[in-house]
Amino acid sequence: MSLEEPDPTDAVPAATSADAMEALVSEHVLSRDDHLNAPGYVVRPDAVQDTLSTLRTEAGLDHLSCVTAQEYEDRYESIYHLKSYDDPTHEASVVVPTPKDDPRSQTAEPVFRTADWHEREAYDLVGIEYEDHPDPRRILLPETWQGHPLSLNYDQERPQIVPLSEHANPLQDDQRGDEGETMFLNIGPHHPATHGVLHLKTTLDGEQVVDVDPDIGYLHRCEEQICQNGTYRYQIMPYPDRWDYISAGLLNEWAYARAIEDMAEIEVPEYAQVIRTLGAELCRIAAHMLAIGTFALDVYGDFTAIFMYAVRDREKVQNILEDLTGQRLMFNYFRLGGVVWDLPEPREDFFETIRDFLDDLPQALEEYHDLISQNEILQVRTVDTGVLPPEVAKSYGATGPVARGSGIDYDLRRDDPYGYYDELDWDVVTDDGCDNYSRLFVRLRELEESAKIIEQCVDLLEDWPEDNRTIQSNVPRTIRPEDDAEIYRAVEGAKGELGIYLRSDGTEKPARFKIRSPCFSNLQTLPEMSNGEYIPDLVASLGSLDIVLGEVDR
Amino acid sequence: MIGLLKGMAVTMKHALNGKTFTVEYPDVAPEVSPRFRGVHKFSQERGIWCRQCENVCPNDTIQIVMDDKRNGEQYNLHIGQCIYCRLCEEVCPVDAILLTQNFEFTADTKDEFVYNKEQLKNVPWYKGIDPLNSRNPDRDAWIGEGEGEIDYQ
Amino acid sequence: MKASWVLLQNGNATGNATNATAGGVARPPSAPLADSIAGMLGLDGAVAGPWAKRKITAAFTDRIAVNRVGPFGLLIIVADAVRLLSKELIVPDGVDRPAWDIAPIVIPFSALLGFAVIPFGSGLQLADPETGLVFAFAAASIASLGVVMAGYASNNKYSLLGGLRAIASNIAYEIPLIVTAASVVIFAGTLQMSEIVAVQQQTLIEIGGVAIPQWFAFVNPFAFALFILANLAEIGRNPFDIPEAPTEIVAGFQTEYSSVYFVLLYLGEFIHIFLGGALAAALFLGGPSGPVLPGFVWFYIKMWAFFLFTQWARSAVPRLRVDQFLDAGWKGMLVLSFANLVLTAILVGVIV
Repeated sequence: MSLEEPDPTDAVPAATSADAMEALVSEHVLSRDDHLNAPGYVVRPDAVQDTLSTLRTEAGLDHLSCVTAQEYEDRYESIYHLKSYDDPTHEASVVVPTPKDDPRSQTAEPVFRTADWHEREAYDLVGIEYEDHPDPRRILLPETWQGHPLSLNYDQERPQIVPLSEHANPLQDDQRGDEGETMFLNIGPHHPATHGVLHLKTTLDGEQVVDVDPDIGYLHRCEEQICQNGTYRYQIMPYPDRWDYISAGLLNEWAYARAIEDMAEIEVPEYAQVIRTLGAELCRIAAHMLAIGTFALDVYGDFTAIFMYAVRDREKVQNILEDLTGQRLMFNYFRLGGVVWDLPEPREDFFETIRDFLDDLPQALEEYHDLISQNEILQVRTVDTGVLPPEVAKSYGATGPVARGSGIDYDLRRDDPYGYYDELDWDVVTDDGCDNYSRLFVRLRELEESAKIIEQCVDLLEDWPEDNRTIQSNVPRTIRPEDDAEIYRAVEGAKGELGIYLRSDGTEKPARFKIRSPCFSNLQTLPEMSNGEYIPDLVASLGSLDIVLGEVDR
Repeated sequence: MIGLLKGMAVTMKHALNGKTFTVEYPDVAPEVSPRFRGVHKFSQERGIWCRQCENVCPNDTIQIVMDDKRNGEQYNLHIGQCIYCRLCEEVCPVDAILLTQNFEFTADTKDEFVYNKEQLKNVPWYKGIDPLNSRNPDRDAWIGEGEGEIDYQ
Repeated sequence: MKASWVLLQNGNATGNATNATAGGVARPPSAPLADSIAGMLGLDGAVAGPWAKRKITAAFTDRIAVNRVGPFGLLIIVADAVRLLSKELIVPDGVDRPAWDIAPIVIPFSALLGFAVIPFGSGLQLADPETGLVFAFAAASIASLGVVMAGYASNNKYSLLGGLRAIASNIAYEIPLIVTAASVVIFAGTLQMSEIVAVQQQTLIEIGGVAIPQWFAFVNPFAFALFILANLAEIGRNPFDIPEAPTEIVAGFQTEYSSVYFVLLYLGEFIHIFLGGALAAALFLGGPSGPVLPGFVWFYIKMWAFFLFTQWARSAVPRLRVDQFLDAGWKGMLVLSFANLVLTAILVGVIV
């Protein structure tokens, strides 16, 4: 097995147990509110920064994975889910309750840069205000929106038509740059290269980018609310496919399946775990193929052959997934406790199809390397552009190929294992380049690793004894987890760490369903990467971040 | 320069080997897997009006109207709104509704996509493949031997 | 097709213009000749745009492209022409009216003007002044004016960026282009196009009974490569398609044009590509020379080979970033083209 053992000579922070961490921040902790995945420390709203920075420096929790905001009957609550980049199973939650009539708490942005956008979203959807936040605007909904949709007293019938022209401040002057001449350009929602409906408000000095301000929310489909209106057992499962809709559906479904299975303590049979792993890695190959193809599209121009080759290879994966799950994009294949269908009959044909695909893959990768990574002009374009140093990446909560392209060795499949990953032989790919080229390279190499995993899974499934092929454990028709159980679980999605926070209130539908989307945190690094660089570099950096607006906006 | 030239050589190779990955639809009908989830087909003879499908549908696409004697009057399914998740087929105890492999359906307005009982009964099989047969190994748990033919037309 | 009728008119105008200004003419330019050359080029552009480009890129990407409308899909040209010309011509608010309207006419006009002096072979040459080469390049450069007119007059920041990039790139690559062409002049000893072509008919060496003609590409392949690269930059094609760069600045200077204007710009771009190919063929590939087939056909083949090459580059070569592109022009190509000039002088001294 090539799983890396943690290096014993690494400085292990002193405080890793729950009580030791509590001792570190004891002057702020009001009480304990343990979640199913981590100890939870309730702190006062004005002690947020102290608590978080202490935990960060002395307990080694340097990854602010998610900021959940919710409203109870008697209070508001912000939860900061902290993890460690070195060991994601070392977690803590910092719970910050605020009173109903004055929901203000201190911002965590000086400690973790990723809190910037997460708190803006918390304000936008739930209504909690964060003091001293550098940019307290709404993020997903338009500026003119009235009300906070996920709060309990939101009025859906309230009229919302407030045009932006009326909303604009009549006393505000036209913006003119002070030093030199800058030009404001909307790299708007309609653009060939923004990978979806993303609005970038760029300020340009000639061809150089002075400031870029991403404006998201054009694809906000209230996924969290939809899931809160569906039952755990069946109705939520079709929706995770639609977050990262570029063929990474099974990875998203696994995030939800993992969260609810850990919360309701549902066992998944081993055979189903292997099938899940197989499906998830096929999805990862499809997602990375498209990421590479669209990146080539951005850098090579619209008629590039690479995009077509990537889509062609992706078609083969989608055909395999269609044989397995019945659909090519929105799979709805996982169920609580397993998967819904066994492998298609005849099994040998299915294995042969997969093996043919895997045999063709090295040659296809050879072509991609010839076309992409060996191309001098591409190297000139992407090496040393879009630089994201690892410390900055960690502060922004970047995960997935973006983090691994900056040298951060973080992969939840290995560090926080689920499925069958810890029984298989594969490596985590990192690259120290910190630029666009290394992110692209990481994705190309990850294709090979996923192929390795799939091959091992196919070998295992072929020899699996016939009497042991349970695909779904016996789960009751309705699931009602106990009241006030909270859990935050994450999986390694195609773009990074996809986490789900669930809180149950004793009914069959969740009381709070918060999605931690990897692209949301990754996109926040865009200004870091492109301020001071040229427009073509901005476009290339955006392509290398590989965002899917469905996941950013949910 | 070498990398550039290698890249150009790769594309030229593709141009000259004459293979195509696309097919000339609709002259060549694409291969569709037996498990493909297409338009629904509903059989009134098999339905027992238990309303499980309506209950489980994630976005309220199925609408069942009963009269005051609890007989089923209408069964409406908006195939434009449906997300093709197949939960209705999965939860149905008698295989009254199932998803064929037919993905070719058109209409002029969105309202025409609300299929009632009659229209759902008349949905054609794709290439004549009966999806129930092709999914047999999975469906044995539900289908008993039964008497008489399955009466989808 | 309405577009080719407009082009025919332009062709007619060019014939008269060159007659008035040039010194010696090989044969009196005739209206039917001008019309037929312009019409032929219009046809070339029409075939290249909707049909050939799609078929070629499809071949590179394992696809079957247009093959439904007409034999081999050729009637797609008619369908596309009708479709494009029947669209609404949207005039955005705030465009600078005369400049915005004239720009799409200037661009194809400049290309057609350049075609007046190209020796097509088989006796087809509209005008043959003693300074034919200079005239061709001068005419082609008028397009830069058209591009910046389009970019600036469109009242659109994307167009402005595209127009400015186009001007920067044209200026940067104009000099290497002309210096490389000047090396041809050193070799041929004359600026007259028909003479340049004639010089290249002589035999360079005999290999196994086959006489290899003195095509300048064989004599100095380095100059040939430089010329092709500089030409790619002039016409705005990968790896130098910065002015248009759809994934960065939407459509560059073409963003605000629709219907007829768009057709003119689109065809103009293709005619410029063919002009570049024609110049490369005439200067480096011996123009209309070749065994068996009439000269005219060989010239056509060479022109279209250049077009094929641009499509091939488009499929496989990424584009340079704008500052790298300008660096390559001023620091790379300029130096190389001057070095090539010296090299040619040495070569000519040795061979001739």
